[in-house]
Amino acid sequence: MGKVFWLIGGLFLLFSVAGANAADEVVVGAVTPLSGKLAVYGEGFQQAMLLALDEVNAAGGINGKPMRILYEDNNSTSKDSVSALQKLITVHKLPVVFGPAASSNFLAVCPVAQENKTILIAAQSAASDITKCGDYVFRVFPSDELQGKGAAELAASLGYKEVVLTYVNNDWGVGLGKVFKENFLKAGGKILDEFSHDEGKTDYRSEVLRVKKHSPKAAVNLTYIKEGATMLKQAYELGLKVQWLMGSASKSPKLVELAGEAAEGIIGTYPTYSQDTAQYRHFKAAWEKKHPDKKIPIFGEYNYDMVHLTAKALKSAKSMSSADIRLALIEASKGYMGVTGDITFDENGDVGAVYGIWTVKGGEIGDYRP
Amino acid sequence: MADYYAQLLLNGVVAGAIYALFAVGLTMVYGVFRFINFAHGELIAWGAYLTLMFSQVLPFALAVVPSMMLVILLGIGQDRYIYKPLRQRGRITLLIASIGLSYLLRNALRLIWGSDLQTYGFEAARGLSFANLIITRTQLAMVAAALVFLGFLYGLLKFTMLGKSLRAVADNMDLAEIMGINMRRIGLTVWTLSALFASAGGVLIGMDTNLEPMMGLTNLLKAFAAVLLGGAGNIWGALVGGLFIGVVENLGVAFFSPGYKDAIAFAVIILILLFRPTGLFSIIGGMR
Repeated sequence: MGKVFWLIGGLFLLFSVAGANAADEVVVGAVTPLSGKLAVYGEGFQQAMLLALDEVNAAGGINGKPMRILYEDNNSTSKDSVSALQKLITVHKLPVVFGPAASSNFLAVCPVAQENKTILIAAQSAASDITKCGDYVFRVFPSDELQGKGAAELAASLGYKEVVLTYVNNDWGVGLGKVFKENFLKAGGKILDEFSHDEGKTDYRSEVLRVKKHSPKAAVNLTYIKEGATMLKQAYELGLKVQWLMGSASKSPKLVELAGEAAEGIIGTYPTYSQDTAQYRHFKAAWEKKHPDKKIPIFGEYNYDMVHLTAKALKSAKSMSSADIRLALIEASKGYMGVTGDITFDENGDVGAVYGIWTVKGGEIGDYRP
Repeated sequence: MADYYAQLLLNGVVAGAIYALFAVGLTMVYGVFRFINFAHGELIAWGAYLTLMFSQVLPFALAVVPSMMLVILLGIGQDRYIYKPLRQRGRITLLIASIGLSYLLRNALRLIWGSDLQTYGFEAARGLSFANLIITRTQLAMVAAALVFLGFLYGLLKFTMLGKSLRAVADNMDLAEIMGINMRRIGLTVWTLSALFASAGGVLIGMDTNLEPMMGLTNLLKAFAAVLLGGAGNIWGALVGGLFIGVVENLGVAFFSPGYKDAIAFAVIILILLFRPTGLFSIIGGMR
């Protein structure tokens, strides 16, 4: 009995100490993939967030108190994302948490955040279902709802009436595929065949053959880098001649490196923003000053904007309760011009977007010009 | 339309030939040592990655040689330092040890080469076309390699003393040892062949598609299904099982979403375990 008593007492002390450090600084949580398959991206997200954090603290922090981001690793899995978020909520009692990358992981944690009335912000999750997560969930990254529309408009504007549609078999891919289909059908298009494909395989010949079966003029392939590259290469080997239309997640020099000549001529959409703004120039200069030998990481701009916007909200919040911060966040976002453009939240906590068109020409990714 | 099914069948045979190569190695180890070596998949992946490493300093065709030799050493080494000391502890211990080893080897791959996809960097080339069927040069090489290796194995088992003693050991290890068969030699042969087949298949898969740390595990599952199908320990059963899995999962795509292609191997595993745990070919007996 005595032992149990001391154990409980000890744990209680430990937890209260862990909670007490919030008094002289403002702590925001972050569930970030620092290990596992997304670790290659996670490090870049973290560096972009820390760049913004340095600037916030150099400018006086949150009303004189320094701001700090407490990182919890999620091992790139949904299971560990949930336990990481639960730790940040119950042990550290943080009102604001930056959510994990990959829509599947984000969707796994958003009900936990919503239930605990903890503000959850995404900087790179695109699944359209995130819109429905609840009023405590926000994102500074445009929803697929918009990208699906963008891809459907692209197909229509290029004059393709009949396409084969394939997408990655996960929350992101299925959601994006659905939005594409709705919009494409509405625009009078016809889907010859529609199927999902698994993530991370090395052999997509059967999928390619299924496209070939219909001999379409165009095929819409909403997928990632590796999967896209493998499929393009195998389609090329199998002699499939089709115009590939892709999304933003496969827009990467790595795709071209892996697929080589097979990537030539593909066309895709991607959310874009003007790089000709004072905000972007400032961000680029600050990044290059801090990391002279590193390129700006993928979605770094969104992570940077997320931290600055959160800091602005924390400064103006009436109290450090999540309800007050939530109101301040919505207020702070109104007309907020970040590196990635206007990030005013709509009633679902989503932002708008402008879509660009990319293509591969001569082994380089560039803007598409008809 | 007929072209479509014929092409799926062809792709299935190519995939199946490589699964057969893995399954034969896996089942041979089972036949002699009576446990499924779950680290077998990692021999596949290591073969592919070591070739990637050596191909940076050697021409590709030559890079295959040292990498296969290292994988054979790895195969013999895992037996010498891990399985052999545990051999008297029973099959479950060996099984668990092999699962642990597979994690170790897989994560070592990640540590050295990273989780990212790698390629040998061959240019994409249009496949050769015969009567509307398309096959790439790499796929031809896959089928050829499978034929050569399995033909060699057939000759070895059928016509040499070593092969006969191997079959005797597979039939009854203790009795064979009493009869004076050199167990050390048999063990070495089995591990060498199984590692050789695994690494050769790994390189071919790498040439055909890409390299990634999970490639061993994915292929192990297919090989495992093939082994069960053929009856564990039955070499020719494993061969047919491999071809069967390859063909069925490729033809299956015509009927349901390709996203569920890998599920076919799992379905086979479950069905066989439920209804015919001794394998489909257990009546024929096969060649041991």
